[in-house]
Amino acid sequence: MKLAARLGTKRKLGFSIGVPATVLLLLMVGSVSSPHFLTVSNLLNVLTSISIVGIVAVGMAFVTMSGGWADLSVPAVIATGAIILLGTQPTLGTLGAMVVALAACALAGAINGIVIGYIRANPIIVTLGSNIIVLGIAQAFVGGRIVYNSDPLANQLVKGKNLGVPFIVIVFLVLALIAHFILARTVWGRWTIATGGNYAAAAASGVPVRFVRGIAFVLTSVLAGVSGCLLALSLQSVRPVIGTGYDFSSFAALVVGGVSLLGGSGSIPRVLGGLLIVQLMSNIMVLHGFPTTAQGLAEGLVIVFAVALDIKLRKRSGGL
Amino acid sequence: MEQLSRIGVALLRGRLWVILSITLLCGSLLVPGFFSLRTLAFSLDRASTIGIVAVGMTAVLIAGQIDLSSGSLVALCGIVTIGLQPMIGPWLALFLAILTGGLIGLLNGTLTIVFGIDSMIATLATMLGISSVAFLVTGSLPVSGTDPLFGVLLTGDLVGMFTTRAAIFLLLVVLLQIWLTRLPSGRNLFAVGSDIVAARDSGIAATRVLMGTFIFIGLCAGLSGALFSLQVNTGSPVFGVTVLLSSITAVVMGGTTLEGGKGSALGTLGGVITVTALTTASEYASVPAYIQGIIIGTILIVLIVLDRTIGRSLRSATDRGALIQASPEEPIPREKENRNE
Repeated sequence: MKLAARLGTKRKLGFSIGVPATVLLLLMVGSVSSPHFLTVSNLLNVLTSISIVGIVAVGMAFVTMSGGWADLSVPAVIATGAIILLGTQPTLGTLGAMVVALAACALAGAINGIVIGYIRANPIIVTLGSNIIVLGIAQAFVGGRIVYNSDPLANQLVKGKNLGVPFIVIVFLVLALIAHFILARTVWGRWTIATGGNYAAAAASGVPVRFVRGIAFVLTSVLAGVSGCLLALSLQSVRPVIGTGYDFSSFAALVVGGVSLLGGSGSIPRVLGGLLIVQLMSNIMVLHGFPTTAQGLAEGLVIVFAVALDIKLRKRSGGL
Repeated sequence: MEQLSRIGVALLRGRLWVILSITLLCGSLLVPGFFSLRTLAFSLDRASTIGIVAVGMTAVLIAGQIDLSSGSLVALCGIVTIGLQPMIGPWLALFLAILTGGLIGLLNGTLTIVFGIDSMIATLATMLGISSVAFLVTGSLPVSGTDPLFGVLLTGDLVGMFTTRAAIFLLLVVLLQIWLTRLPSGRNLFAVGSDIVAARDSGIAATRVLMGTFIFIGLCAGLSGALFSLQVNTGSPVFGVTVLLSSITAVVMGGTTLEGGKGSALGTLGGVITVTALTTASEYASVPAYIQGIIIGTILIVLIVLDRTIGRSLRSATDRGALIQASPEEPIPREKENRNE
């Protein structure tokens, strides 16, 4: 108990000081180095991109905290959600199409969840594999082409603002609040943390560990589907590569914010902190004319740094 | 029930033959002249790209680690081979490409061993970084070489039958087989892979073994990328995940497990041949690339599921003991898990 407390403090201190400090530093660097940084339109852009990634990251937080590391099938699921939405929109209407799209995403997530939660196969390899499978099925569904369709009403809603706040940001904040409530206040949240923290002990004390880890993958897929639907509604055309990079962006945000890859530790506010860091970083890079492909390099470095720090802080505080 | 599971185990052991015969059967039905010498030689040549990576992957998986960066590394080293040709000449560029592979291997090894990051996560990050560098240096466009004849030397026909790079691949398989079965350091690899703490306690320099395997797969990926790009005289940043998944599928098909301590070079050879036969057959039958992705991905996941359900006792891949590498000073005991949770 003592050990756990000590361990918690060291880590918590490291990240709860480090994350806000980094966000502040990035805000300072951004406003000093570029005149376009501190403008309303740029900051709204950052918020919108945080929201699209953030919806995925909220789901992925459950995966990482329950000890399932990461869900790399996110790009394919986003594409699936978007393609199915636009593909079935003419026949089913926007709402009906959305329900079908999210159901398909949930199905993909359920397969991940069964293979990883119940059969306990390696999550990274399984989701790398299911990514290529799901993307293949989605492409076969539309014959490998670009899908177009538009619903002016839905498009206006998604691109619109309420009291100056973009609709997508509101959706993200509502989802994040619900997730925060689940993680911090309900049994399910405690189960998720227990499953990731000590699998054997959680199983012994009656936590349905397999189900908890499995559902985390379903949740991630559904939320990735929501992201895909929002993207499709605002862009009105979808290519199969639409989801590329969302897996790593959200994963980087998680580990930078201090959601431990070793499982059993993390919260939605930390995810928000991580999202701010990753998206501000890429925004500053874009403003300085770096090509978007440089973002992957930055994210890779950030993941390595954050995970190494996490492991070091844990080891120094007296072992596992 | 007992008999059923015994049949299951037998099928799992012989999975290579099962999948290979199904593939060959489908291939011969769908593709006229599938068994002709020309098709076979062509397949073997194609096989060498994922094959050389798979040779390295076999060693890494036996040691209980993984290298997800090898696919992007193939792309980057291909770009180095072709892109540097005008500046420093083809031979030096080839050498530098393979060196790049080795250095990235060293980096992966350092992240895993020194910083204690699980190789699954460390190489995921380097995969992302390498792929990003490949896109950056090429500006997302393929680069073409200045000396197309240089490639002919390395990828042309050797004895009228198979190409130089196919021969290099086969040679590497034979060397790996000898290393794994005849040499002490090869046997140490299995020991480290099945239980690193026990291996260390019995005096094996586990750190050196692990570092060696990471550098080895880096060199393999470098060589594979260099030979591939020389053959097409183009270095392109867009592949990676396909090469990675195909080579992992080939290795797993050959009986090497993701959990470490088990595997063989000849099994990998069989797996590579099967995966390539599958690709060749579907290309001849003009199956689109995304359908091939579905097939490869499904085979990989089904095999992993079978390995875990019938093949061995259930031990999670993500338990803490498996995630943190034991540090040299204080070996951390792996948590044993309650089997009937």
